[in-house]
Amino acid sequence: MPAAVAPSITAPPGIWRRAARRWRRAPTSFRVGAAILLIHAIVAITGPWWAPYGLSQMGTGIPLSGMSWDHPFGVDQLGRDIFSRVVHGARIVILLSLSGTLLGLVVGAVIGLLSGYVGGWIDDVVQRLIEALISIPFLVLALIAIAAAGPELAGNALLVILVVALVYAPRIARMARAAALDIVTRDYVTAARLRGERAWAVVRREVLPNASGVLLVEFALRAGYAPVLIGSLGFLGFGMRPPTPEWGLMISENRALIIVSPITVIGPGLMLASLVVGLNLFTDGLARMLGRTVKLVEK
Amino acid sequence: MFVLRLVVSRVVLSLLTLLLVSIIIFALLEVLPGDVASRILGRDATPESLAALRAQLHLDDPAPQRYFDWLGGILRGDFGEALTSSRPVTQILAPRIFNTLVLSAAAFVLYLPLALIPAMVQALRRDGPLDHGLSVITLVLLSTPDFLLGTLLLIAFVITIPIFPAMSLVDQSSGVTEYLRAIALPAITLAIVMAVYAVRMLRDNLIEVLDSEYVRMAELKGLPRRQVLLRHALPNALVPTLNITALNLAYLIGGVVIVEKVFSYPGFGSLLVDALQLRDLPLIEATVLIAAVVYVGANLLADIGAILLNPKLRAG
Repeated sequence: MPAAVAPSITAPPGIWRRAARRWRRAPTSFRVGAAILLIHAIVAITGPWWAPYGLSQMGTGIPLSGMSWDHPFGVDQLGRDIFSRVVHGARIVILLSLSGTLLGLVVGAVIGLLSGYVGGWIDDVVQRLIEALISIPFLVLALIAIAAAGPELAGNALLVILVVALVYAPRIARMARAAALDIVTRDYVTAARLRGERAWAVVRREVLPNASGVLLVEFALRAGYAPVLIGSLGFLGFGMRPPTPEWGLMISENRALIIVSPITVIGPGLMLASLVVGLNLFTDGLARMLGRTVKLVEK
Repeated sequence: MFVLRLVVSRVVLSLLTLLLVSIIIFALLEVLPGDVASRILGRDATPESLAALRAQLHLDDPAPQRYFDWLGGILRGDFGEALTSSRPVTQILAPRIFNTLVLSAAAFVLYLPLALIPAMVQALRRDGPLDHGLSVITLVLLSTPDFLLGTLLLIAFVITIPIFPAMSLVDQSSGVTEYLRAIALPAITLAIVMAVYAVRMLRDNLIEVLDSEYVRMAELKGLPRRQVLLRHALPNALVPTLNITALNLAYLIGGVVIVEKVFSYPGFGSLLVDALQLRDLPLIEATVLIAAVVYVGANLLADIGAILLNPKLRAG
């Protein structure tokens, strides 16, 4: 049946084959990063089904008994299995990081792109405000925002997400604005403007699609640091509250135990560091594939 | 003349930024919806204690007036009184700032060789196993949060090999050796975090310079590679290094908050955390504003440094 074979030769390769080819050509850092992230994603999604114990189940073993086959990351003071808690924590850490970064990206991109496109005094004002927000160190801004929210909201997941967005939005806005300034000089933007389109429509249809590469890398870069920011807040006692198995909070809780059972700190630390390594490698590879050099995130 | 105008405009912009920062801090902490007094005292406060606190903080005055009173006080060097100890904020801040300056100076001394040596080794052995190995180590360290790195160092050098104290406690009576023992681990933590951040950029900068024409020329003249690197390449990588160092100084201000807490070191950063836990408003406002001043100042110095070091601008 030659007629049936012919089209399959000329037809473009299927989506899977194209994806496979892209994967083979991708930089090593991208592939290693993606593999690490895949493991984290699987743990986050399926973890609660196979974690040996519940997330705050007490009396699972002898408190502070150290590493064993039953308790690879040890047992804490209350007899909770650290390994199970770390596994349960994965989805919390990843969900908080992604939603906070995404919110920051949306707010930052809208402000930055519009401001860069509109220009004039509005842009000047926005730029000064962004500059001022960036001048308050990262963690310090997050901490005073939490203080401003007051004791009622303390430990609320929504507050943590909003704080991550607040810290990231001005930094993302600055990048988006720089990208917009470059794009607005292009002919297709001038053409759209001459057609009499409104600012928002031009930004959405012409500027945003052309800034998407920059924004994608920016998102990956910020998402890579979000678990550390959330962990830092938890560590200082201003993030999630016990008994949430957020890794930074767990490191802080088990710090008092390090003399007896250091593994209770190393376990959550290993998960946190490996997630961030994965995100950093992934971002590095992604930026290279998009033909950009990536400046590592400010801490 | 042109350079002078550029520098002056940078200074003016920095001052404007700081003014905005003071407004943001004030607005976040004192104008946001909700009663400030009940936010400080919590849910079980009595009406009398709320009224007393309101009077102490002049909360019944309109917000703009309170802002200008606060700003005017700061410009005269008066940050008000702390709520929890009724001492002037400046008196509480002074020893803490001194401790943090000592810690930061030590961290910077350690940071320079930790950043420069691996970067130079990597640039010289480009794409070799040593370069790749150092790249992997840098990436892993870069992905390790500072509070985790500090805690791991604590496990290593306080518990496994006990050579340092677990609590880095110092006060006015502490001698030099006590200070050195107390700041060793926190300074090493900060230096590592700053160095890994710089190493990657410095390596790329050095490689770029090593590939340039005048370095080729020096090599063709027969100068040894080490001399080419030290005499020709390193000075030219100075401007980007200055920028990285300014960024690192900016990190340091946030970093001391975490690292001082990890090692219980009584500095500026742990003071901010304590003030936040106690909801001591005047103390929080003062520490945050000082952090912003240091940040903006560091960036301003880096900008001015870059302007002065730029031969194109210098000649103009």
